[in-house]
Amino acid sequence: MEFTHKTLANGLVLIGEINPPSKSAAVGYFVRTGARDEAPQINGVSHFLEHMLFKGNDRLSAFEVNEAFDSRGAQFNAFTSEEQTVFYAAVLPEYLIEITELWAELMRPALRDDDFDIEKNVIKEEIAMYQDTPMFDVMDRCRSLHFGTHPCGSSVLGSVESIDALTAEQMRGYFARRYVPNNMIVACTGTFDWDRFCATVEAISGRWQTAPVDRPLAHFDGTKAKTRAEKANLKREHICLMHTGVSAQDPRRFAASLLSMIVGDDYGSRFYWDLVDKALAEEASMHFSPMDGTGMFYSYLRCGTPNVGKVLGIVEGIFQDLAANGIREEELVKARNKVLSTLVLKNELPMGRLVDLGFNWMYSGEYRSIEQDVEAVKAVHAADVNRLIREIDLGSCTRYSLGPATAA
Amino acid sequence: MPNGMVLLGEPMAGVESVAFDFMLPMGAARMPTGCCGASNVLSEWMFRGAGARDSRQLGDALDGLGVQRSTSIGSSHVYLGGALESSNLSEALAVYSDVILNPRLTAEQFDMARQLIVEELKSLDDEPRQRVTLELRKRFYPDPLGRSTMGELEDLDRLTARRGREIAKNHLNVPEVVFSVAGKYDFEAICRQLEGVFGPHAGKRSRRRKTASQKAGYTHVPHDGAQVHIGLMTGTARFVDEDYYSARMAVSVLSGSMSSRLFTEVREKRGLCYAIGAKYHSLKEAAGILCYAGTTPDKAQETLDVILAEFGRLAEGISDEEMARAKIGLKASVILQSESSASRAGAIGGDYYMLGRVRPLEEIKGRIEATSVDSVLGFLRSHPFQDYTVVTIGPREVRVG
Repeated sequence: MEFTHKTLANGLVLIGEINPPSKSAAVGYFVRTGARDEAPQINGVSHFLEHMLFKGNDRLSAFEVNEAFDSRGAQFNAFTSEEQTVFYAAVLPEYLIEITELWAELMRPALRDDDFDIEKNVIKEEIAMYQDTPMFDVMDRCRSLHFGTHPCGSSVLGSVESIDALTAEQMRGYFARRYVPNNMIVACTGTFDWDRFCATVEAISGRWQTAPVDRPLAHFDGTKAKTRAEKANLKREHICLMHTGVSAQDPRRFAASLLSMIVGDDYGSRFYWDLVDKALAEEASMHFSPMDGTGMFYSYLRCGTPNVGKVLGIVEGIFQDLAANGIREEELVKARNKVLSTLVLKNELPMGRLVDLGFNWMYSGEYRSIEQDVEAVKAVHAADVNRLIREIDLGSCTRYSLGPATAA
Repeated sequence: MPNGMVLLGEPMAGVESVAFDFMLPMGAARMPTGCCGASNVLSEWMFRGAGARDSRQLGDALDGLGVQRSTSIGSSHVYLGGALESSNLSEALAVYSDVILNPRLTAEQFDMARQLIVEELKSLDDEPRQRVTLELRKRFYPDPLGRSTMGELEDLDRLTARRGREIAKNHLNVPEVVFSVAGKYDFEAICRQLEGVFGPHAGKRSRRRKTASQKAGYTHVPHDGAQVHIGLMTGTARFVDEDYYSARMAVSVLSGSMSSRLFTEVREKRGLCYAIGAKYHSLKEAAGILCYAGTTPDKAQETLDVILAEFGRLAEGISDEEMARAKIGLKASVILQSESSASRAGAIGGDYYMLGRVRPLEEIKGRIEATSVDSVLGFLRSHPFQDYTVVTIGPREVRVG
């Protein structure tokens, strides 16, 4: 694999990792904008805007955009998080240049009023869909409880009220402020010709105007608040926990990902043996979520209402034990092997590689090869994880429970 | 292998990973009547101690090898899969062989395995989108083919450890096991290893079960959620049929991607849904097109009406552009998927079970290329969409037809 990069005069960064044995290529525009960059009165605009980019520009209608991707067999989509909006496509190598050109064009969308009005319905349907997905619902609520007034507590989707109130004019203003070349990167992985790729991007994106853009970065430990809400249609208890974490720039992030594997991997973790193996909870997992300047761990637990007290007691016991006694060496060895397998499997596909490549650059402005990540994981000792446990105060967390009205 | 067990492998260049699947002939449709969910309990129970290892030691062994475990229950098979960095493959296969051939199946672990499956099944009440698909298959496929792959509560309540062991003995029939591997591996070494442990196990091929006939119809399940979750299914050519590729192309025109008809008509033009799509679903014995849409109650009727109109309109005509997009879309997705070892291991095992052979990528691409507007329309006109099985879960019913 060969890494290469280039910065255009307007600040747009192009990065590429060339891997000739691949049968495909993946390309993506990464925009450093998301829910945390929204004022409360326009909450949901980043995600709505992501949808609107598919509605075309002055030259292409929405249908023509979809047709252009589909006629080249591209597997394309986009996602919005609290801090990023990413547009991507996986394609056969022969179509890479045309698809790159198409994405570049779409980064300057028409944002037409009639498209905006129809898409508003789709966004509200998406909000309704997630309301019927309690795991997502409880995590969204817990995030806002955990982050309190910190911008990372903003909901990505927004609410029906904020979406109803949003105007196309407000969206255009937000677009003009955030989709500036110095706030974006474009990345490519797999089999492709770097020089042609650069020329294609530059011909279109090179014309975009630079503008000042910022994002306040402040670490936040979380409110450690606890609450429960009821929903009449639920039959199970859905519980989300959030712990203080470390940021995507922090060297301790490798120890943090091993810690989440030890506590809450699907199999073989402390959650697994104490809760799932014993059939007290059918779902118990923990993930590390590094972010820009801050970070957190989130856990999701699901169980029957009679088990809630027992499950929460066991979970608290696990965290108290870790805070007091730390992890065991053999736990680290297993977690390390699992993290390494995950890395190797994810990197089979140019599409899997694209996101890691883009995020590393977005967060740290650096390229990291798979080998460097493997070495960083191997270099973590039990003492590093245990120091992290003390530093982040693993004994306390924010908790949001969502369950049926009849629960104790 | 001489005893009938099949070993399949497909090497991949430039990867450090390997993925494998054991297909065990104990899927939901093969379970005895009144034991729906036994497949799930068994596949959970088998990992709770095998050979010299108890449950904890077995889990630790797989974790120590960095194995990403995947277990899934299908209509015909239970799939025990693993994916890992290739240097630990042989040790991982030794553990899986033990799980299949020497599970301890203790009474104590049975209780927890069954309880876990019961809890998972109960949680389906909070997942209307997942539930609608299971309810749909149950009603669309002739029994026992469509039986719930998550089990039925009353059957699980009655299941005992003794009955479970009996089922395991009757269904873990080695000659019918299919093993597939893709990625970086040494096939000779795998064959030596697996023949050593599975070779001595003989058995007989089981008879195919008779299936009952199924009637199309509409079922509504009340659920006080935010959306009405609409599922509909209608019959089409099976994977093993000559018309298979025409059926796949028809589904692609309908719902292969964002320029296809359902997405365009339901979401883009009318804003009725966020999630809307149809996919092809085939068992060996029967196949259907499975369509899902989730929408708020006020739009549910219009959504269903538009979907049914699009199904109906398909046989009236397909443009050359639509056909070209469907072809390149399907070809590209076949090639892109071929880069994932787990996806390839699953695909070659599935091919073998369905066809008795593995289709090379070139053959798939050629067959896709050989379809035409005329062949797809000809197929649709000789097999018109007539009967729809419809299930809705949500706060409001719809009218069908």
